[in-house]
Amino acid sequence: MDIRVDKDACVGCGLCVKDCPMHVYELQNKVSVPVRPNNCMGCLSCHEICPAQALEHRGVYPARRHYIDIKVCEMLRKVI
Amino acid sequence: MSAGYIDELHDAFHSDLVYRSEDIPLDCTPKPKEMEQTLHGVMKLNGLVIRSLEEIAGRGANAVTYRAGKKFGHEVAKYFQKREDVEGALHELSDLLRGQYSFEVWKPEDKETFIIEENGETFIYLVFHDCIVRQTLRRNGLDQGGPLCQTLFGYVVGAIEEITGRKAKLEIVHTGPNACLKKLVLK
Repeated sequence: MDIRVDKDACVGCGLCVKDCPMHVYELQNKVSVPVRPNNCMGCLSCHEICPAQALEHRGVYPARRHYIDIKVCEMLRKVI
Repeated sequence: MSAGYIDELHDAFHSDLVYRSEDIPLDCTPKPKEMEQTLHGVMKLNGLVIRSLEEIAGRGANAVTYRAGKKFGHEVAKYFQKREDVEGALHELSDLLRGQYSFEVWKPEDKETFIIEENGETFIYLVFHDCIVRQTLRRNGLDQGGPLCQTLFGYVVGAIEEITGRKAKLEIVHTGPNACLKKLVLK
């Protein structure tokens, strides 16, 4: 797994470090660093928890999404 | 309600089709592509049933749904080939779950084998990628790891027990929006 952290965006809150059960991240100089990227299973809970949206995963399998709200998406399409 | 509207309704549900008892439908109607609204309806209903069950039965809800899932797992897997090796059983299981769940056997990089022995227990890590339960929970804004997840736990445990004849247990290690890590403990 190729994990990239936007060093300018990362606020060093350490939420990804605490959340990851496989200890993929470590805080180094107040910035999150993916030290064990091969331990990442691609759950992407770090993406959900990161307040700065500083993370990027490459080569992850995207699980099928069935839960989008059809009506909301129809309205959004009209607006966009 | 106007008579015109009632006539319109009657027209909508009337056809000139001749239906005989021996006519077995070979396809779903409508086509799966047109079933999105139905799927959403089922997901919403499932979510509400689970939420209500949790409100009334509290922690007992987990036991009920686990039991239901386990029965389902035993029921479905009894038609599958019996295997003694866990690897073969997992292969059977992935065939069994296809379309609803997809999973892979996984290990941390410091482990050499997929079957891990630690603190006197033997287990395998499974990463569930596609999961209809996760989709339903997120569709309804419910927490992961609750009673609906227990149905999947029961299902996997029931199927593994049926295929291998060995007792098993499934534990949640971590839940995420894209995948969940589970631990299949073999006894």
